[in-house]
Amino acid sequence: MELEKFTYDNKLSKMFLFATILWGIVAMLVGLTIAFELIFPNMSDGISWLSFGRLRPLHTNGAIFAFVGNGIFLAVYYSTPRLLKTPMFSKALGCIHFWGWQLIIVLAAISFPLGFTQSKEYAELIWPIDVLVVIIWVVFGLNMMMTIVKRRTKHIYVAIWFYIATWVTVAVLYIVNNLQLPTSFLHSYPVYAGIQDALVQWWYGHNAVAFFLTTPILGMMYYFIPKAANRPVYSYKLSIIHFWALIFLYIWAGPHHLLYSSLPDWVQALGVVFSIMLIAPSWGGMINGLLTLRGAWDKVREDPVLKMFVVGVTAYGMATFEGPMLALKSVNALSHFTDWTIAHVHIGTLGWNSMLNFGMIYWLVPRLFKTKLWSVKMANTHFWIATLGMLFFAVPLYFAGFTQALMWKQFTEEGYLSYPNFLETVTQILPMYYLRAFGGTLYITGAILFVINIWKTASAGKFTRYEEDQAPAKPAPKAGEGWHRKLEGRPLQLTVVALVVILIGGLVEIIPMYLVKTNVPTIANVQPLTPLELEGRDIYIREGCYTCHSQMIRPFRSEVERYGEYTKSGEGVYDHPFLYGSKRTGPDLAREGVKTLPNYKPDSWHYSHMIDPQKLNAESIMPPYPWLAERDLDVSNLESKIDVLERLGVPYNDYLKGQDPIAHLNDQATKIAAGLRSGGIEVQDNKEIIAMIAYLQRLGTDLYNGNTQAQLNSK
Amino acid sequence: MATDNAKKPPVEDYEYDTLTNERLIKDHDYDGIRELDNDLPTWWKWLFYITIVFSVVYMIRLWVFHSDDLVQEREFAIEMEEAAAKTPTDTKAAGEFQLVLLEDEASLASGKETWDKICAVCHLVDGGGLVGPNMTDNYWIHGDKLDQQFKIITNGVIEKGMIPYRDQLSEQKRLEVISYVMVKLQGTTPANPKEPQGDPY
Repeated sequence: MELEKFTYDNKLSKMFLFATILWGIVAMLVGLTIAFELIFPNMSDGISWLSFGRLRPLHTNGAIFAFVGNGIFLAVYYSTPRLLKTPMFSKALGCIHFWGWQLIIVLAAISFPLGFTQSKEYAELIWPIDVLVVIIWVVFGLNMMMTIVKRRTKHIYVAIWFYIATWVTVAVLYIVNNLQLPTSFLHSYPVYAGIQDALVQWWYGHNAVAFFLTTPILGMMYYFIPKAANRPVYSYKLSIIHFWALIFLYIWAGPHHLLYSSLPDWVQALGVVFSIMLIAPSWGGMINGLLTLRGAWDKVREDPVLKMFVVGVTAYGMATFEGPMLALKSVNALSHFTDWTIAHVHIGTLGWNSMLNFGMIYWLVPRLFKTKLWSVKMANTHFWIATLGMLFFAVPLYFAGFTQALMWKQFTEEGYLSYPNFLETVTQILPMYYLRAFGGTLYITGAILFVINIWKTASAGKFTRYEEDQAPAKPAPKAGEGWHRKLEGRPLQLTVVALVVILIGGLVEIIPMYLVKTNVPTIANVQPLTPLELEGRDIYIREGCYTCHSQMIRPFRSEVERYGEYTKSGEGVYDHPFLYGSKRTGPDLAREGVKTLPNYKPDSWHYSHMIDPQKLNAESIMPPYPWLAERDLDVSNLESKIDVLERLGVPYNDYLKGQDPIAHLNDQATKIAAGLRSGGIEVQDNKEIIAMIAYLQRLGTDLYNGNTQAQLNSK
Repeated sequence: MATDNAKKPPVEDYEYDTLTNERLIKDHDYDGIRELDNDLPTWWKWLFYITIVFSVVYMIRLWVFHSDDLVQEREFAIEMEEAAAKTPTDTKAAGEFQLVLLEDEASLASGKETWDKICAVCHLVDGGGLVGPNMTDNYWIHGDKLDQQFKIITNGVIEKGMIPYRDQLSEQKRLEVISYVMVKLQGTTPANPKEPQGDPY
């Protein structure tokens, strides 16, 4: 058979490799910063762009899209040409992809600290950057798909199946979840509201984990583990079954992020059962990774690359067992809103994602630079420090989550909450936050060793940009292939089938939420926010208040006693976006404004508390927000905001009845400011803090409007 | 397994992995990566079947039997009913309760605990007042008598921001914290006392 000669270009692999390392360190350092901010709330020193609420999205997006994202692209740009025996389709597209993605990261790193956010988790980027993400994602997909089309091999390997599934699904998720109407160049409202927005968001959020943090990493695993161990993949059959089962089942599981919310029972139940059915397909990936190492366990003992892969794949197995357990209602009743979730996701990121990235880079750099790893001993040290760091991070948080959940739910014999003051439950677990920060510090120490080792290795060797290879031209189809083998020879068909498979779950869950009215029962009392409250809500979003405060009371005695009537779906019909939150570092705020409930605080309390929380609660870990009292409220975009919301179905024309929104806003602000001044607080009418107080005092009140608690109970 | 073998293609389509002696699929070679022809592990298949059965049963329990633990509103109602049945009623407690100033150290210590945890949020730990009035001076807005104070802490003064503690603190706890104010805080000198509010008594 005649062999064709061709050349791989390693330049983009090298660029993605360095970008992975750079952003990995940045994302981890931002994470460590916010871990310390939870212990030392005044660490940000009144500097708005350093506050927890603004940096948290930077950490999550940085870890996911910058660190893991560049790692994925490195894996794709290195492995795809070799698996298909052809160079990448286009160097120009590759360059646009690389620099476009880095530009997105830089824009995120600027816009998040400045408070530009949509507030939807891992989809916080504002709309102009979203547009850029979609364009660059299409460029990436085009480059990858054309490479697949121009391949020399007849069939495509399982790693490529996972890359394809990643590309189509992330495109669908990202576009659907980010549908929004701009009010200005930097601000928009999502087209969905309340529980519907929440469902779309968690369909996205959960599957960002599935199709950005899992499927491409499985693709990475399927290339780099057999390569590094020089062993055949354990089972081709398992590859097929777990690939299709995984991508079909994953997409349904999003509702487990909304258990005990106002999501209808049937959607919650689908979220539960599809999570449980995911255990075996996830473990299919794990066993295919681990059992590929049979016959190479002696190498694992010495080789840091294989060690990292083993711990990474094992962490994947742990996280994908724990995930379904957390999706059981009885476990979720405890775990949700606590640090348990934080521990769980870090087993995934510190264990699975980072270890696979580290292992891949330790294996690649000596090959790209034609030399040996500078220090195997140092890499082994990194491995042990990273493993220990992960445990020191996660174990205290498991303990913290469990402890705090039990404290939230405990009642005295007389029937009162044992810990009516939320802060007590925070103070109790604070030592665990110290340990977590210690674990994070260890992990970063390991990562610094990694950087040194990679730097030294690269400096010692010489970068080999071009690599020659040869392969026969693509053979003609062979008769008698099984149906799946045929599909592996027709990647475009495989792409379409994958697309259909991943669409089913989302469609079944999301569409009825819009078409069937009983899924979101209406509540007559619910009115749009006043213009001042609306501006206050946008400040609440800007400051990332939702990163620590939920606005969703679950139907448990302990929550209803503490916070008031549980949250109804009809209450959120004008909430673009929903603000349920996913973590309670502070108390729930869904009914903060209801005067008859235990959490009610007067305006003056809110004012003093936002300026200096520790003055009111010495042990509080809330950061201060002094700038809210200094900055003038910007109302220049108000009319555009109200127009957009009217178009999205919020009846502002009926509500304002022809009043000028700005005049309405000024009236309400004057009243609140006058009330504060009568209590001895020096404040002007036009400060941001007035809008924020107006919003907080409105929260949850519509349902109680004209209803007593007894009437609510009887409904 | 034996039945599977019968269906398998002829032996010449396979090669053997030297370390495990398992069958490699012949034309599966991707950049040097080979694939073994191993079957799905039996325990793995059973795990998958069990989760599917669990799921079917789960959905039937919701859709056909409307089980209490899967219908959210029902589950909540049951929890509230059970709690109501367990909790002693107010009338029973009222028989034993007397509104008399407590001066024993245990009650005052318990009162201080409540004060520090709950009241201090507005009145500060040393009682100097911030959002709420100063509790160390002899000025009172709503009267200095025990029953007047008990009424305030029980029902609140919502227009001034004082919330009712009827549902959060038992009668005993409310009395303990008032006693703590009267016995321990009154007459002390806080760090930053708020100016007097109300009338001197």
